[in-house]
Amino acid sequence: MIRYLWSLVCYFFRPWIKWFLRQTTQMCELQRICYGEPSGAPRALAIEDSLRHSRDATIKKLLIYLDDISDKCEITIETEQEVLQEVIKTVLLTKKINPVAHPDFAKSFGKCIELIWGYRQLCVECEELRKIPYDAENPEHEALLMKLWDSLNPDEILTSRVSKQWQHIGFQGDDPKTDFRGMGILGLSNLIYFAQEYSGTVKQVLLHSLHPRYGYPFAIVGINLTSMALRLLRDGSAKTHIYNSSKTLPTIRAFHHFYCCLFYAFDGFWMQSKPNNMMEFSSVQERFESNIRATLASPTTVFRLNVSVDNV
Amino acid sequence: MGLLTVLKKLKQKEKEMRILMLGLDNAGKTTVLKRINGEPIDTISPTLGFNIKTLEHRGYKLNIWDVGGQKSLRSYWRNYFECTDGLIWVVDSADRRRLEDCKAELHKLLQEERLEGASLLVLANKQDLPGALSAPDIAEVLELPNIKTHHWQIYKCSAVTAENLVEGINWIVDDIAARIFYVD
Repeated sequence: MIRYLWSLVCYFFRPWIKWFLRQTTQMCELQRICYGEPSGAPRALAIEDSLRHSRDATIKKLLIYLDDISDKCEITIETEQEVLQEVIKTVLLTKKINPVAHPDFAKSFGKCIELIWGYRQLCVECEELRKIPYDAENPEHEALLMKLWDSLNPDEILTSRVSKQWQHIGFQGDDPKTDFRGMGILGLSNLIYFAQEYSGTVKQVLLHSLHPRYGYPFAIVGINLTSMALRLLRDGSAKTHIYNSSKTLPTIRAFHHFYCCLFYAFDGFWMQSKPNNMMEFSSVQERFESNIRATLASPTTVFRLNVSVDNV
Repeated sequence: MGLLTVLKKLKQKEKEMRILMLGLDNAGKTTVLKRINGEPIDTISPTLGFNIKTLEHRGYKLNIWDVGGQKSLRSYWRNYFECTDGLIWVVDSADRRRLEDCKAELHKLLQEERLEGASLLVLANKQDLPGALSAPDIAEVLELPNIKTHHWQIYKCSAVTAENLVEGINWIVDDIAARIFYVD
């Protein structure tokens, strides 16, 4: 109730406060954010909030346009500059900002736009990969699965496609094809990325998963973590990390990297909780997720993988 | 607390049922559970550990326990046997390769002392898939007619299309109710 009243108050007073600040600082809200907030998530989140609350017809139209092209995944490295120039031009005109007097604004604002709508596009891309079910008849999918095996076990040859060996890396049975379930190709690509890009870390994590007492099924836990990473992405919690870690347009690699950080952190969390058996997974995972959510709530959060471990 | 409230509480407690849902991995246990609970079923990943859902059904409070079916987890199933009123055994009707395995696990369970008297509902799931065996065929392979120790019933169903799920749940709830609430 109080929250509702507060939002009503904000709704009515926001334009007055903005007008007052504009008169005193000679800058619009977007400029104040770009100059006042540190780059990365604090700035991009504030810009996003400001744009979403705008009642200006041109800005509203601009947002619809940006939402539309990102939902269609049309922002690519090729089209990006063109889109950004157009958006910046529109905002400079609508907000009557002199680009000569404020040369830094365009750059900083453009960066925020890139992050905000890159993130939105990333959600769509991940969802599309998730929706592709693993298909054993599809040679491309089979090749991906073999790639996973080879990057996790470079020294061991898989004796046959259906083999008990899959259980060594934590699949449920002799054939991993049904284990991807609702996470589809997204779950598989997450695992491959982790195995290929962080081969040192993955070896360490895989060893932990084979621990006689605190071991866990590596691949299945990985697929459950894909599900968690996607949840955090969809509800916007992952914005802080993605905004802070992306130097350019966030692509699927940004999601993979986020996943690897989660996996590495989960491994540590699991070993530290010293669970009695696998049946404690649900509760350990819940505690882990609320820890991660709390960390992501801070605007300066950015997860990193322990690189030094990777070099050893 | 008045006498009436106490009586009501007792009555509510009486109307609780504990149902354990088991089966091999990839049988569709979590999908069945989510489907009957009205949750989306498109983002399920393999169950590690267990899920519990409490739902109201025809005036009864059902506590349904869905425990992971992976081979390495099956030894933990027995931790959940205590006070089980009903057992739902979910079968992937299209996975002919592992039906023997499925039969062995089921019959092992039925010998458990702590599951004595529990009603057994077998769900011949995944009927929407091509090549799925029919319910009578599954009953035959699993040798259900030989079961004398438990009330049992088999329903063909599909957790994806929701076909026949409610009918199955209705049967097990009625069977449990007839046994534990209306004995006198």
